[in-house]
Amino acid sequence: MKVLTRTDLEAVQIPRKKPITGARAIAEAVKIADVDVIAAYPIRPYTGVMNALAEMIANGEFAAEIIVADSEHSQFEIAKHASAVGARTFVGSSGVGLLYAAEAIAVTAMDQLPVVALAGCRALDDPGNFGMEWNDTLFFRDSGWLVSWAKDPQEALDMTLVAYRVAEDRRVMLPHFIVVDGATITHIAAPVDTPPKEDVTEFLPPYRPHYPLDPAQGPVTKAQHIAPSLIGPEQRKHVDVAMKRSRDVIAEAWRDYADYVRRTYDPFIETFHMDDAEIALVTMGAYTVNALHAVKEVRRDGIKAGVVRLRYFRPFPAWDLEKVLSGVGGIGVLDFSYSFGSPDSAGVVFNEVRAAMYGNPKPALDFLFLGGREPKPADFVKALKVLHKYVRTGDTPEGKRVFWLTLRGEDV
Amino acid sequence: MSGERRQFKSVKEVPPEDYYTSGRRTCAGCGPALAYRLVLKAAGVNTVVLGPTGCMYVANAHQFLTSPYAIPWFHTQLGGGGAAGVGTAAAFRALMKKGKRRLEDVNVVVFGGDGGFADIGFAGLSMGMSYDYPRLLYVLYDNESYANTGIQASSTTPWGATTTFTPSGKVRRIGNERMKKNVALIMAAHPGVRYVATATLWPPLDLMNKVSKGLGSGGPSFIHVLVPCPKGWFTPPDLTVELSRLAVETGLWVLWEHENGRFRLTYKPSPRKHVKNYMQLQGRFAHLPASEIDMIEEVTEREWEIWAEMDRTGKLMVP
Ligand SMILES: Cc1ncc(C[n+]2csc(CCOP(=O)(O)OP(=O)(O)O)c2C)c(N)n1
Ligand code: SF4
Repeated sequence: MKVLTRTDLEAVQIPRKKPITGARAIAEAVKIADVDVIAAYPIRPYTGVMNALAEMIANGEFAAEIIVADSEHSQFEIAKHASAVGARTFVGSSGVGLLYAAEAIAVTAMDQLPVVALAGCRALDDPGNFGMEWNDTLFFRDSGWLVSWAKDPQEALDMTLVAYRVAEDRRVMLPHFIVVDGATITHIAAPVDTPPKEDVTEFLPPYRPHYPLDPAQGPVTKAQHIAPSLIGPEQRKHVDVAMKRSRDVIAEAWRDYADYVRRTYDPFIETFHMDDAEIALVTMGAYTVNALHAVKEVRRDGIKAGVVRLRYFRPFPAWDLEKVLSGVGGIGVLDFSYSFGSPDSAGVVFNEVRAAMYGNPKPALDFLFLGGREPKPADFVKALKVLHKYVRTGDTPEGKRVFWLTLRGEDV
Repeated sequence: MSGERRQFKSVKEVPPEDYYTSGRRTCAGCGPALAYRLVLKAAGVNTVVLGPTGCMYVANAHQFLTSPYAIPWFHTQLGGGGAAGVGTAAAFRALMKKGKRRLEDVNVVVFGGDGGFADIGFAGLSMGMSYDYPRLLYVLYDNESYANTGIQASSTTPWGATTTFTPSGKVRRIGNERMKKNVALIMAAHPGVRYVATATLWPPLDLMNKVSKGLGSGGPSFIHVLVPCPKGWFTPPDLTVELSRLAVETGLWVLWEHENGRFRLTYKPSPRKHVKNYMQLQGRFAHLPASEIDMIEEVTEREWEIWAEMDRTGKLMVP
């Protein structure tokens, strides 16, 4: 096939867009990636991707073993072991399902097996709640998985294809979460361009592990119990190095992807109106769109605001973040995560952002949207106004730095 | 692909090759280790082995990072045995079907303890038995406790045994008060399952031939192997095989197979020895008075009426 150069890109028409949900879009990517083994277990809101895949396989659109597991723990164990043999795998979950699988998720990274999983964010129990929060996925922030966060179905599809490429790269060999906000992306249709398989076969060559668990390749012993005096830190270092290397591999993969698929993305961070911004909202996922609307609204009142969206949470793009935020006078995080008892009793994302800005600290506020209650556009406008005032005067309402904006009643 | 099921008629036919060798630190007389060796001899070189956590993970490793395995081997989590087998078998099937790997019979053997298969990984094992992956064999090596963590009771620990979680005390005298779970019967009750059996280290060819039958059965198979554990049973290491024989001869461990829907005893002790011949050799039963041991003898006698009935009719029943 002909590789498009970047100068060709603008000239090319995009006639292939069809409205599909995020779940369906990811299923399309799994099909294009010719995944071999899929393990499913139902939990809202990620389930739609498995429904779509089951249908595709039943209709002969592509061939894969699809296993209905007895639990999420089994689901992720199935994917891990299939990956060790040399199969390309897909798995996923949401909410408490991810936590049920926690043990299997953790070892997959330590085994350095490039499983790709969808995390459809959902509030954790108790009480049961179909709303969206980020804590299910963020439980795994320290686990050695690569974590990328999509903002719409199109990006979810693209991220899935790029995820296989990065995860399976021999410089990396780590599992990869594609994270999408539950409901807003999993269930809502948006126009999506699905690239033909031929367009990405060169971009995404078949998975060929170094040491597959296959008698044809001779005996390998994997994950033998160790003596920490002989190899303990060394094994952890392998994962650390893989994670560090992934930074270049990710950048390279998105550059290549643009050549094959005619869509360009900045790999780690997307910015809006940041050229002259005095204050910035930092966020991830689907609500970026609403943040952008809020920014447009306050700009009409003369408040120079911008939006910064993290596309990856692991590796955390501290380097890019520090760069784009270097000129602003204050940061507000739109945060759908909590970490009770953490510094300032703030969200996980807030504390990560603040740690990333350690060398160049900025006044920062955290705006929490918890318990799955959807924020209104006015909430983001309010966040911007509070932040703006804070940067000007150093004052916030009641001197707070963390605001529960969707809470009814008193924010104590 | 073929359903090869080689049967060994005498020890002379047993291949000299071992796939489970030195480089481990299991206790002297470790029953699970002996079973590992026999099972893999029967399975042969074209085999992937998966090991949930337990003694056969931890004690099979060595502080000098040696590996006792001469075939591919991978750890799986304590509750992951069933899923690990399915994932591995599914990968081989998918890769072969899609032309990504050459067509060939590859055995997948999952070697799980009683903690791993009868308790924490029970649901996953059940899932594995509900799919149709051929040459997928689950071996439950039953040393009747969580041995690796220091001998705690599992759901296959026999009634009356002491373990560190079920000691015999002044008020609670008996030790373990739960009855041993019959995992093989439950596995045999799964729909469409082609091969389920029980075995122990004696007779050794019985174990090896059952491995061969299971792998060649055309579907997933399960063998529940009783394996004495000198550390947990408080027995001398040189009695391991003798205890296996006595378990069978006293009728406390029943050797049977369930093949394509038909049940059959593969050994009928006659005359059956009194259970005390087996129990009195073991420190874990030392606190039981003779009256309790006689009661176990009575229960065993009654259960054998049912086993005999099952053998006559070929149908599964619950003793
Ligand atoms: C999820 C989990 N819980 C607990 C443990 C601790 N653990 C390690 S080995 C073991 C014993 C397993 O017992 P069993 O399956 O009977 O095998 P055995 O040790 O008797 O060979 C346990 C409980 C673990 N590794 N993983
Ligand atoms: S404790 Fe028992 S099962 Fe574990 S190595 Fe020792 S004899 Fe074998």
